[in-house]
Amino acid sequence: MTPNPVTVKSLPPKENALFKRILKCYEQKLYKNGLKFAKQILSNPQFADHAETLAMKGLILNALGRREEAYEYVRRGLRNDLKSHTCWHVYGLLQRSERKYDEAIKCYRNALKWDSQNIQILRELSIVQIHTRDLVGYRDTRHQLFKLKPGQRASWIGFAIAYHLMKDYEMAFKILDALRNTMNQDNQQMQQGRKDATFEYERSELLLYQNMILEESGDILGAKKHLLDHNKEIIDRVAFNETIARYHIHLEEYVQAETIYRKLIQSNQENKAYYDGLTRSLRIEDEPEEKLKLFNELKAQYPRAALVKRLPLDFTEEAQFTDLLRPYVISALEKGAPTLFTDLQPLYKNPSKVVIIQNLVEGFVTQLEKNSKFSEADQERAPASGLLWAYYYLAKHYDQVNNTKTALQCVNKAIDHTPTLIELLTCKAKIYKHSGDIAAAVENMNDAREMDTADRYLNSKCAKYMMRADRVSEATEILGKFTREGTSPMDNLNEMQCMWFQTECARTYQRMGMWGEALKKCLEVDRHFHEIIEDQYDFHSYCLRKMTLRSYIKLLRLEDILHSHPFYFKAAKVAIDVYIYLHDNPLKNQASDEQNNQENLSPSELKKLKNKERKAKKRAELEQQAAAAAAEKKNLHQKQKQSNEDGESHHPDSAEELVPDKLAATTEPLQQAMKFLEPLLSLAAHNIETHILAYEIYSRKDKPLLMLRSIRRALKVDPNNDTVQRLLVKFQETMSTRVKTLPEPLPEFMKQELEKVYTFKKVN
Amino acid sequence: MRPRIELGEVTVHNIRQLKRLNTVVFPVSYNDKFYKDVLQAGELARLAYYNDVVVGGVCCRIDTTEGQRRLYIMTLGCLAPYRRCGIGTVMLKHVLNYVEKDGNFDALYLHVQINNDSAIAFYQKFGFNIVETKTSYYKRIEPADAHVLQKNLVKGGSKGSKAVVG
Repeated sequence: MTPNPVTVKSLPPKENALFKRILKCYEQKLYKNGLKFAKQILSNPQFADHAETLAMKGLILNALGRREEAYEYVRRGLRNDLKSHTCWHVYGLLQRSERKYDEAIKCYRNALKWDSQNIQILRELSIVQIHTRDLVGYRDTRHQLFKLKPGQRASWIGFAIAYHLMKDYEMAFKILDALRNTMNQDNQQMQQGRKDATFEYERSELLLYQNMILEESGDILGAKKHLLDHNKEIIDRVAFNETIARYHIHLEEYVQAETIYRKLIQSNQENKAYYDGLTRSLRIEDEPEEKLKLFNELKAQYPRAALVKRLPLDFTEEAQFTDLLRPYVISALEKGAPTLFTDLQPLYKNPSKVVIIQNLVEGFVTQLEKNSKFSEADQERAPASGLLWAYYYLAKHYDQVNNTKTALQCVNKAIDHTPTLIELLTCKAKIYKHSGDIAAAVENMNDAREMDTADRYLNSKCAKYMMRADRVSEATEILGKFTREGTSPMDNLNEMQCMWFQTECARTYQRMGMWGEALKKCLEVDRHFHEIIEDQYDFHSYCLRKMTLRSYIKLLRLEDILHSHPFYFKAAKVAIDVYIYLHDNPLKNQASDEQNNQENLSPSELKKLKNKERKAKKRAELEQQAAAAAAEKKNLHQKQKQSNEDGESHHPDSAEELVPDKLAATTEPLQQAMKFLEPLLSLAAHNIETHILAYEIYSRKDKPLLMLRSIRRALKVDPNNDTVQRLLVKFQETMSTRVKTLPEPLPEFMKQELEKVYTFKKVN
Repeated sequence: MRPRIELGEVTVHNIRQLKRLNTVVFPVSYNDKFYKDVLQAGELARLAYYNDVVVGGVCCRIDTTEGQRRLYIMTLGCLAPYRRCGIGTVMLKHVLNYVEKDGNFDALYLHVQINNDSAIAFYQKFGFNIVETKTSYYKRIEPADAHVLQKNLVKGGSKGSKAVVG
């Protein structure tokens, strides 16, 4: 179709006015009106192919969720005028709404070819660039914006941030300094003598951000001077003090550091970092005697501070430890704090302290049973609940040292004493769980739950224990007592990103051999992480406006390492394990394997096997029924939703629904597994499991070098790990034959490397 | 450190704690209807907390037999390790407060096993007296006899008054 000459740029005044109205309608979300105006232009045969109108129509259709049509129109418009920056811009917006960021960047760049100074396009491009961490692109775009709009504060800040992220600290600092000076001048002119809280806040944040840049550049001396010079302008006093204290320590100005840390402790006695800082500034980190003196001093100063009493338990030993522990435990038992055990748990790494604690609390129990006192010499009697909490503590204590029998004895004594206390039931359940008796654990946890049906914590714990017992549908029903009405609990919990539940589900399904369901849960968790990363999108412009710059940078850095979170690891491990299993045992073969095996069994064995299969099938069927019912409900709900919202915003990821059977039937399990492995390799390298999983994948992909790398990394984390030893042996066996087919110079290299590994082992 | 004693409502969410309490404290067992009624009893049913642990409970109902309006205490008790700490007093005072505010009760009363000396002494401290003894009151425990302890009230109290008959 030859483009109509009228499609290039200019419209006559009437149509031009209509076009402008289309733009306004889009901005104001009056989509129906926008479409009307577009129709008016396009129904005129002269302008039926007007590129920009077509593009705008597409954009509006996209906003209404009619994605296919939207693309059609936008592409048509673009074809009719490849030189229209508007068309490219709209195309970019379309791609962006689909989160196809690389495509979007290309479109924006094309748009800029035809209108290199379009501020809006540049701004949008910069946001997409920072979102995808295209730092070089971001800097260049920011540079453009800076040149074009030097009057806008955000241009300067964005420009500075670009340099900061590329580690050019000097440039970043200079830009911000220049900005600050103009800000000061502007403000003096505007506000004569009046206090402007917003201005002061923004100035303070800017200064602290500048200081952050200085600190990262390594110029601590300069950073300190900068901070002190602007002391009066900084509003966040906590940040100021914490930072300057850090600088003093770094510069070995210990006297000054001590003063600041004491000041900080005065404002907040429960921040451990302050006490660490204080001991560092007094140079007594390795001197328990001195530290004890210090803490006694602080105790007198702050008699109600909790941390002051707890920290000395960490660094004292023997008699001193016992002397400090006694009143600490008595106070907790009197108060009836259930958290005493969790509080003291870190001390259990030290075996001698474990003995001291045990003797102390056992002593209390004996004394309290005798005459309700903590010690013979006491004047007053202990509260009646003291004995109860002492029993409770002992139950947890013995559970910790794996003495299940005594732990149960203690908790049962406690239950006899005060049968109404719910914590005792949860404690008992936990003991059973640790000992492996999951059925008893569920029974007790459910008992606890029924004692207070308004307590969501008990509800969740009960569901978790049920899942450990492979009772998924029961667990889901229980959780449903607290989830939103009208949706299935599974769906609601997915919506709420309830990842503890989803990872538990994944593990349970894996145990039950329901591979597809397990994979679905893993992928749901994966999607949550994806969503959380996408969530940062709006902040790129918001934070620049609001000047919350330090937080913004921290947010970017957090998002960069998001996949290091334990939830991701849990889901990835299940996924990789399942995919490896499916690689080794593709589903079609499983059925025929079973048939083969059955021919060799005696009739009674066969009967038993059939029974077992029938039961497992029934369980799986029930699960699938529950899942199907849930899917039905979801469909119903979605249909309702769709009929309720016509024209509302669509989700860019009305993502493909996860169908368990399809997932389990994947033809490339190893490839899928790699997707989960990658974030682990970069962010969870300290975890030996990562390398074990990596080895398993690489060995099935026949990648000897990568297998070797995985073993080496695993040994670095823990040279004595059993699994790794086994893998090493397997690797050697494989290599002994495989090495002949390796291209030169690998065979010799392999031999050397394996020897190195063995010497490494011997040394460790 | 003084222990804190507080009273709390009985709700459908925590009623099992009351059930467990009563099962342990009383030799008599109460059926589902009893607890169904407790949920409607409002102020007449309370759990007693000792340092945030449920250790006691009281359940009453309004009784209109024998031509009088009396408050009947169905259960009032606390776990053994927590007795003689003032918990019973707090619960009983709550009940006495209730009848005083209401002003329209003739008396309070309850049943006690004849061998429960500590309970009898406790209620006598608050002005209750043994007004009757019922033989074979209890079906499945020994002794089966029960005293009726009653405390008569002056009607009119702080609120509500009978019309003066001239």
